[in-house]
Amino acid sequence: MAALMAVRRQFLACFRLTRDISLVRCLGTSFVHGKCNLNRILLSQTPSTHFHTSALVSTASAVTVTEEPDTLLQKVVILVKGHDRAVLDSYEFFASLAAQELGINVSQVSEPRKDIERMTLLKSIHIFKKHRVQYEMRTHYRRIEISHITGCTAQVYLEYIQRNLPEGVAMEVTKTAMEKVPDHILEPMWKPQPADEPNQ
Amino acid sequence: MATHSSKALFSVGRTSFSYIGLSKSTSRVTYATALSVNNPPRTKGFPDRNGRGTFPRRPKREPGEPRTEKMAPDQDWTSVYPAATPFRPNSVPLPVRMGYPVKGGVPPLKKGNLELIKIPNFLHLTPAAIRKHCEALKPFCTEWPSALDTDPKCDERFPVKIESREFVSAGPSIRNPAARGVQLSIKLSSLNLDDHARKKMLKLVGERYCRDTDVLTIRADSCPLRQQNYDYAMYLLTVLYHESWKTEAWEAEKTVADMEEYMWEDSPSQKNILELLMRMKVSEGDGQEAREQLLERRDVQEYKDSVTRLKNEGESESSMLQYKEAVKKVLNV
Repeated sequence: MAALMAVRRQFLACFRLTRDISLVRCLGTSFVHGKCNLNRILLSQTPSTHFHTSALVSTASAVTVTEEPDTLLQKVVILVKGHDRAVLDSYEFFASLAAQELGINVSQVSEPRKDIERMTLLKSIHIFKKHRVQYEMRTHYRRIEISHITGCTAQVYLEYIQRNLPEGVAMEVTKTAMEKVPDHILEPMWKPQPADEPNQ
Repeated sequence: MATHSSKALFSVGRTSFSYIGLSKSTSRVTYATALSVNNPPRTKGFPDRNGRGTFPRRPKREPGEPRTEKMAPDQDWTSVYPAATPFRPNSVPLPVRMGYPVKGGVPPLKKGNLELIKIPNFLHLTPAAIRKHCEALKPFCTEWPSALDTDPKCDERFPVKIESREFVSAGPSIRNPAARGVQLSIKLSSLNLDDHARKKMLKLVGERYCRDTDVLTIRADSCPLRQQNYDYAMYLLTVLYHESWKTEAWEAEKTVADMEEYMWEDSPSQKNILELLMRMKVSEGDGQEAREQLLERRDVQEYKDSVTRLKNEGESESSMLQYKEAVKKVLNV
């Protein structure tokens, strides 16, 4: 009984956090020093003297808490694909360090087998059937599995990871969310007597 | 014809051809620059008077010393590479070499190295930078409820699992048609179903149910949006649940062939064993009470269990042994 109450209190506490635009601008400018142009974070450029003073002040106040209950994700599987294994190694280091810093539980990091797609084509545009040329495309994979993460944290983490995805690397994210049994399925609508069931 | 070295100076020349039968003369004039490529740098602004009189060039600056010389070992690297930028050899104070080595030599230097520029670099994502980013992102994260630390607890409180996929890739289009599919999994033991409702649900659902794990999986991907597919999957679950509780008039016509599992009552096996036992013990007399007494006997119950097990689970070492023992007991062999 006590466990149930504790669980219910914690569910009420898991509210969805929304991102405020002013804080995003703040975040973006705190990384910009000098005249670097940020293509990924779509922000208006603010002069470098502006952000130092406002960064700390608006961080705490720009986080809004809504009444909507947070989704609970039992498992998030991130599969990254690329042609270069070294790039995927570096990306895996980055992703796992980021998860560690944010307090996310990474349950498994594995490397599925690479796929090689080969094609054998004619070397010449006309005749010379005996002379061919062979090409191959190698796709390397990396699989990161995260368990027991809330919807807000997952959104933050995935957005961070995806914004820093290198060129030539693709990602596939599989989320498994868990929900309660809906209220309308708890009890049957019809009375379980064969005598007087309502007509469809 | 054309010399490789730049030391030679071509002179202006004229070549003429004459065709047989035609008095046409084609003249080809070759031009050459008086300045060759590897000449020592001249003083700025003064074009060579021997040449064709090139316009005055902009004074050529000497490149200064690279920034790496001025970098302190304890500098803030996150300010040198704050965002993803191509590799700049004069900004990275590392003696990196990359590329296929020259014969008998080493890979080329980082200066002017295209291989280093082509490959994506992670210089903007050093551990220090990652920590800074995560510090800024922490206020937006929420904590997982500590009471749900194991999977069985999660399954007990939240039995409905919704699986969806997202894709990130570069290409002509950022959309992926596989992203709109939604898969709903639920264990039937967590639903409020009685015996008849469970059997009807299994019949309605067919292949979507896995007997080993007791999981019903509904896959919805016919609608264009993920939200629509999720709503449709929930609607299907609701309809299945309520329909399985209903008992239609035609369900009374259920025959033995429709049964999901083998029932020994009113089966040929029961009739056969009862008749056999009646014929073996003629002295007890015929009638319904005698049959009921026979049914209540322990070896007949064991025989019933073994036959049911054989029919439902299939043939195996242990089930055949059990059947053999039961038959021996019933027939007093």
